[in-house]
Amino acid sequence: MDDSDEALMGRVARGDERAYHSLVGRHLPAMLGLARRILGNAAEAEDVAQEAMLRVWTHAPRWQPLAAFRTWLTRVTVNLCLDRKRRVPWVELEAAGEIVDPAPDAGEQAESDERERAVAAAIQQLPDRQRAAIVLTYSEGMSNAQAAEILGTSISALETLLVRGKQNLRRALKSLIGEDEP
Amino acid sequence: MNTQEFDALLTRALERQDKADDAAVERVKARLAGPLPRQQLPFWRLLPTVLLDWQFAPAWPRVAALGACAVIGFAIGLSGVDRRIDRTDTAVITSGGIGSIVFEPEPLTGAQP
Repeated sequence: MDDSDEALMGRVARGDERAYHSLVGRHLPAMLGLARRILGNAAEAEDVAQEAMLRVWTHAPRWQPLAAFRTWLTRVTVNLCLDRKRRVPWVELEAAGEIVDPAPDAGEQAESDERERAVAAAIQQLPDRQRAAIVLTYSEGMSNAQAAEILGTSISALETLLVRGKQNLRRALKSLIGEDEP
Repeated sequence: MNTQEFDALLTRALERQDKADDAAVERVKARLAGPLPRQQLPFWRLLPTVLLDWQFAPAWPRVAALGACAVIGFAIGLSGVDRRIDRTDTAVITSGGIGSIVFEPEPLTGAQP
């Protein structure tokens, strides 16, 4: 039996709950991780992942295989994350303050961990679409074309989002990565 | 830090950020295990369901109300709205016969109709 995502989605469209739970088991961990990286909040990420998976069920009869199922589901999840972030006020990147290393005497590994934690914290302070673009590109390993399709924008607009996002990160992390203001 | 090093730092930072742990996945799966909502069917698939769900069994109070309305309408149709319903058997003779029709000459010209 064909158990590709698209075939399972065809069965879900006919109300097959077993096929639906197979799809959930296959994609839920990735979507939950993606939501966590975009939202930076585990509880909200669970809500978003649940909502995205429910949409798989409710929208299945109308779903057209115009794009890969994974791409469609990622777009649904990213849009739900952006909608949720829109509801809470955005904090200016500069307002987050300088990121300091609380353990300057720790070893090299601890220093590296701390640096990565600081980068992750700075990513959370980015504007929503810049953060989504960076997460899709650097965490999900998507090409610019795929990330642009998911964000519903052009490749050049996505590249602009990435450039601005990285500029903001470099500015926020300048003390950590040892750079002067550009 | 050059671009490649910065990109690698971003990738590492995102990789180490909370990955979906099994407990969280199981929590969401448990929430999805309940009864699923109704699917959004396209209209052409919804139509047969609507027709099959149609209730043809008569609702007796409505049938009685319809019958009563029909009887009232029939009685009014037989008797006319200008007559009492209990006097439909009496003939009504108009007070004005054909003789009451008067053809008067035109006052100015004196012409007859």
